[in-house]
Amino acid sequence: MKKYRSKKGAEKLSLALIYTVLTIISVIWLLPFLMLIILSFRGEQAGMSADYLFPRQWSFDNYIKLFTETKFLNWYGNTMLVSVVVTVVQTIIVLVTSYALSRLRFKMRKPLMNVMLILGMFPGFLSMTAVYFVLKEINLTQNLFGLILVYSASSAMQYYICKGFFDTIPKSLDEAARIDGASRHTVFFKIILPLAKPIIIYTILTAFIAPWGEYMFSSFIMLGNPDKFTVAVGMKSWLDNSTMASEYFTIFCAAAVVVSIPITALFIWLQRYYVEGVTGGSVKG
Amino acid sequence: MANLSLKHIYKVYPNGTKAVNDFNMEIADKEFIVFVGPSGCGKSTTLRMIAGLEDISAGELKIGDVIVNDMEPKDRDIAMVFQNYALYPHMTVYENLAFSLRLRKLPKDEIHNLVVQAAETLGITEYLSKKPKEMSGGQRQRVALGRAIVREPKVMLLDEPLSNLDAKLRTQMRAEISKLHSRLNTTFIYVTHDQVEAMTMGTRIVVMKDGFVKQIDTPKNLYKYPANKFVAGFIGTPQMNFFEGTLRKDGNDVHIKFANSDAEITVPCSKLDKVRPDYLNGETTVYMGIRAENISIDRVEVGRSKAVVKVRVSHIEELGSETLLYGDLNTDGDGISDSLTKVIIKDVGNGDYKAGDIIEAALDTDRIHLFDRQTEDCILPRIPEYNYLDCTVSGGTLNFSGESIALPPAIKCADGEYELLIPVDAFKVGKDISVNVENCEDICGIKLLSAKLNGKMLYAVVPGDVTEKSLKLDVDLKKITLLKDGKKVVEPMPAVNCLDGIFVKKKTKKQAEENGKFKTLKATEFSLETEGRQFVVSDTLAQKLIAALGVKKAFTSPLKIECGAHSLTFGEDGISARAEGMLDYGKEKFLKCNVGGKYVYLLADRDYEGEVRIVPDLDKVGIVETERNIRII
Repeated sequence: MKKYRSKKGAEKLSLALIYTVLTIISVIWLLPFLMLIILSFRGEQAGMSADYLFPRQWSFDNYIKLFTETKFLNWYGNTMLVSVVVTVVQTIIVLVTSYALSRLRFKMRKPLMNVMLILGMFPGFLSMTAVYFVLKEINLTQNLFGLILVYSASSAMQYYICKGFFDTIPKSLDEAARIDGASRHTVFFKIILPLAKPIIIYTILTAFIAPWGEYMFSSFIMLGNPDKFTVAVGMKSWLDNSTMASEYFTIFCAAAVVVSIPITALFIWLQRYYVEGVTGGSVKG
Repeated sequence: MANLSLKHIYKVYPNGTKAVNDFNMEIADKEFIVFVGPSGCGKSTTLRMIAGLEDISAGELKIGDVIVNDMEPKDRDIAMVFQNYALYPHMTVYENLAFSLRLRKLPKDEIHNLVVQAAETLGITEYLSKKPKEMSGGQRQRVALGRAIVREPKVMLLDEPLSNLDAKLRTQMRAEISKLHSRLNTTFIYVTHDQVEAMTMGTRIVVMKDGFVKQIDTPKNLYKYPANKFVAGFIGTPQMNFFEGTLRKDGNDVHIKFANSDAEITVPCSKLDKVRPDYLNGETTVYMGIRAENISIDRVEVGRSKAVVKVRVSHIEELGSETLLYGDLNTDGDGISDSLTKVIIKDVGNGDYKAGDIIEAALDTDRIHLFDRQTEDCILPRIPEYNYLDCTVSGGTLNFSGESIALPPAIKCADGEYELLIPVDAFKVGKDISVNVENCEDICGIKLLSAKLNGKMLYAVVPGDVTEKSLKLDVDLKKITLLKDGKKVVEPMPAVNCLDGIFVKKKTKKQAEENGKFKTLKATEFSLETEGRQFVVSDTLAQKLIAALGVKKAFTSPLKIECGAHSLTFGEDGISARAEGMLDYGKEKFLKCNVGGKYVYLLADRDYEGEVRIVPDLDKVGIVETERNIRII
């Protein structure tokens, strides 16, 4: 008689395998961040090398220096301002564009969607020099507004995922609301938006994270004006030469920890809205 | 609480597909109308056009007295129930019901009263605080209904509301919706593909197929008098039996011979006197239809009947109260393949039979339906097109059925024997012939008079009820046809004249005096251009044209203008035409003119010669857009 392996045993084995792989991956992912946190508390100078992990002397000096001796707070404010404004603008534009592309039927709708999709595939920095000269002509270089403009200008191209979500909300809901007396605006704000919470959260997160960590455009646009640096540009400037780097490396680590706080907080706060099955029960079940 | 009027409604998609073709209907207040047909027949599209969710390509839609073609759904004061309920999932049942009222900015306590009232009507009070996802399909359907009734709309539209429910719940909800209709006193329009739903709920049913309306009538009339083979097959379960066969007239009987079998039955001629005679030649193949319940296998019945056929039973379905026998008229056939000799018989008795038996069945000859093989239209209609009579012409007199009428100069034909075709609408109360009235029935608003003319049946459409026993009628001789050996010797005068035209817009400037000052008033004038002449049209007609064709197409689409002989007059600035002789029908005279190679007939009081100018009366014309073949007026 053929011997069958017990189902429970097989399940246990596969679970063990899965957890092993997951543990290895999470160690690889978490280790750099852990190093960063630990290094930020090192009291002694580190130079550019981290030949040992745990500091000989634990201290908050790096954080104190960060906020008192550097322009970090200034940069932090700049970045926060730019990111929040871009988040608001981009979220609105993306939602509105996606709704229009999902619900309205107009000439050139398909070509427009395709063009936006293909344009979005080109890396943004290809147009960097052109964008720089345009901004220079209208006096928007070394200016936070210029940065906001650049970041939110192409927002509409992010429509794709959001439109896909709107497509899953049954059209008959729109129609029912329109017959009930709602205008297109009312339908959008009272019916579609409440149902689109997960995708709004997703849009907010992506819209915030991109300008928060963006380096290339801001380094170009803010070139030569340290007062208007964003955190990414400012922190990179500490590591530009090795003498500075050896002094600022641990401070850099402290700054990195502070920079990661808003994103982590934002994510923890918003993730509870990531509820599945929001449209449950609207249509046939 | 409103009547609806749909006139020449079309839905044409950009690629040219016509989803709805020339939909015409007047819906009275408080009617329960059901649109029924197989999927893709255009019933939902029509409903959505009424709701305002689809644009109307052409035609005129009125709710109450208002043309609503261009009105937003929210302004039409309608409510709609969707197939998938379309409840707002993030709102509770209460909020779902209150949504439309809140948008109307009603005071809070009034909203509360209305919501509670609607919830009580539908028995959903206990669910008011629940979200849709916590409810079952039947409960959700009630909420969807509640959302529609809560604001007391003028028209309730229901788009297959029961098709997501199970069979038992469906039967229950069917009754509830009917009850709701009688309680609300509102016009209901209900779309379904289920003929049982249609038959049980509708006061009138619209049967549709491939974008065309096949028949509009009450459930009973659809069942009893289907206008074509499609309706006959669609309404009623089991489906009507269809056979191919030929009809042969022989004295006072008509022999019906079934194709592919030996069966032959005999029907008295009087039952088929509305059938066009050329179907009765024994050669033209027609479809015959008879319902399963109109075939009897009762021994007494079979013994009495002259219409008995032999059926080979192939299998039997016991349904408890009745038995369905599946068989074949072709005693060699298998009765299963989809042949035109297959027959289903509904037996309510306890017949003694088994599969393989050959039994005798009697067809109820009053319930036989006949359809043309090509058009599939009923050839035994309730209102026939013509009266078919034999006649002789001698010395300028037309003699038929013992009556004689002097032929007017316009009808010229040699002496001899002819077949005479008189349309049913060619009669008027007068003095030419006298008939004995048999019956006057109302068929969908048309009064049909059946009368005997010296023993021969005569049908006439009359304007009102006839109570007299005998009546004198005039025959409108310009409508008659005389046939000799199947060839037309005398043709009726064309009822409509067709002119090609186009709709044009002109900006006009007028000098007007106002308070002593001269002002230039700008105005837009609309006119129809035909044969090089422009005729100013009324604002209502212009609006209809623009609504039907759209602003862009209205002034470029080629149009066909149809006008009867009575809606053309002579006028100074009319179309130039050449007079080509008079048609003198005695009481009326008509002038035949040539307009750009086409013949046009118009009423004339005297003889004309040479060039004449004619003016159409634009309030009485019909207009068709020729490019997409869309009738506008």
